[in-house]
Amino acid sequence: MADKKAELWEALKQGVIDYDEDAVKEAAQAVVDEGLDAYDAVFDGLVEGMNEVGRLYEEQEYFVPEMLMCADALYAGLDILKPHIIQKEGGIKGAVVMGVVQGDVHDIGKNIVKMMFDVAGFDVHDLGRDVPMDKFVEEQLKTDSELVLLSAMMTTTMVGMKDIIAKIKEKNPNCKIMIGGAPVSEDLADKWGADGFAKDANNALKDALNMVKALKDLQQ
Amino acid sequence: MVVKQFKEEMTGLERALAALSYKKPDRVPVASLVCGASRRILGVTYDKWATDSELCAESMLQAHALMDFDIFVTLVDLSVEAEAFGQPCIYPMESTPYSDPNHPILKSHEDYHKIEQVNLRETGRTKMVIDVVNRIAKAKGKECGVCGFVYAPLGVLGAMRGHERMFIDCIKHREDLIAACEAITPALIDYAVAQVEAGAHAIVMDTLYASATIMSPKMWEAIEAPFAKRIADAVKAAGGALVLHNCGGGIYFDVQQKYTDPVAISHAYPAADCKSWEEHAAKWGKKIVSIGSMDPAKVGMTLDPQGVMEYTREFIEYFKDCDGGFILSTGCEFPPNGSLLNAIAIMDAAKAYGSYR
Repeated sequence: MADKKAELWEALKQGVIDYDEDAVKEAAQAVVDEGLDAYDAVFDGLVEGMNEVGRLYEEQEYFVPEMLMCADALYAGLDILKPHIIQKEGGIKGAVVMGVVQGDVHDIGKNIVKMMFDVAGFDVHDLGRDVPMDKFVEEQLKTDSELVLLSAMMTTTMVGMKDIIAKIKEKNPNCKIMIGGAPVSEDLADKWGADGFAKDANNALKDALNMVKALKDLQQ
Repeated sequence: MVVKQFKEEMTGLERALAALSYKKPDRVPVASLVCGASRRILGVTYDKWATDSELCAESMLQAHALMDFDIFVTLVDLSVEAEAFGQPCIYPMESTPYSDPNHPILKSHEDYHKIEQVNLRETGRTKMVIDVVNRIAKAKGKECGVCGFVYAPLGVLGAMRGHERMFIDCIKHREDLIAACEAITPALIDYAVAQVEAGAHAIVMDTLYASATIMSPKMWEAIEAPFAKRIADAVKAAGGALVLHNCGGGIYFDVQQKYTDPVAISHAYPAADCKSWEEHAAKWGKKIVSIGSMDPAKVGMTLDPQGVMEYTREFIEYFKDCDGGFILSTGCEFPPNGSLLNAIAIMDAAKAYGSYR
């Protein structure tokens, strides 16, 4: 059984790295059919694959097109495994609200971050793109999410983040807010009271992985 | 601050030409990427500015009257060409127009084969941009540099297909994507040439995807590079200078030089093979003129005018040993909502710190 498990975890991991949707689907279905732990399959298979993709991205062996293909492969596996996941004691349990701010439609970075929170088992409330300011505040309150992630690619739209951060912090000072996008900087994140920032899709993946790991460590 | 005055000042055009030929001008020339922001000087909404050639040109001319820069760049926005091919666009009153992501005209990879031929000289906003170039060239073309603008094929197709879908097509449906590049490139060539005929001294071609932020150099070479080369060759044959713009991180100077041989590149980050601005200036500064490369958000949104002057000075210093081959600008469009006082501070810094005499 241990060999079979290791073999399937490796197939999931390699399928993500090779952006081979069919191979990932096949391995994920085998995990379910064999009655193996779907949670471990996600983390030790799919997420391990995505960690390697992140490394390849940093090494500039993979770029945005490859990463998007890997993401599709990962979701193909996640769709099969997710209904079979039993939440573990000490595992991550949390909610995150995310979206691209009003007037902005650039959502690739946001989607990559979303993927990482999806696989980490978060309850993800993706508001999409061109999201009205108040919608973030309402959704955070409604879901009591621990995290809010705001994304913008334009200087004309990123300025809206300042108001969203202030409004959310006013209602819920403990909520952590991360902002991202090409024009955003650490200076602006500090100035506007955000708790973190990611500059682009490259950093978004890395930061999302770090953030999920940090939260997981905290909760354990 | 005392601004140096020259007894025999060059015109902006002379300054630009000197810089582009590595002959030290009187001071560092400044290319204006105060494009959308210029509408605030004239006092028109963004949607009007982006659709009316008279208002657009007049705004840029007023920006020149206010700032006294050396080179005009007639960038309106990155949906201009896609819209001419039929892509629906959205026009906010206070922000940059963009192609409607909910209604991509290219709904599947098969649609790449259905793109209809369009005469961009006579269509919508490409016609408008040609007129903007014409108006600015007539008003200031003898004393200032005038640059037209064209988005390279993948940028246009990304706006018509949705960038995420197009990136996946780069792997899954590459032949279809290349067929689409083939379909639209003749019109883009004609559009670029029309801008030269309207008075542009140079054409700025945006090759955003030739950067590590987006795709590998190998993939860019396999897909867009041959088409970028055709546009570059046509611009040169029409008598224009070829400039590239690429605000991506890790821009591929080497590969782009191989295919397009630009006289200058407008960029926001050092080349992919350089870790710092100092290294970039040493490696590329005397081969391809840099236009840039200040962080637009920092210049327009974060710093005050004094901070902008100091920041500008840093960039003048980086490129001071490039035999005059440097043109000062932001690395991408000056924020449309950025401080105009900060835009003026760039010019003040060029005059105060950019003397070659």
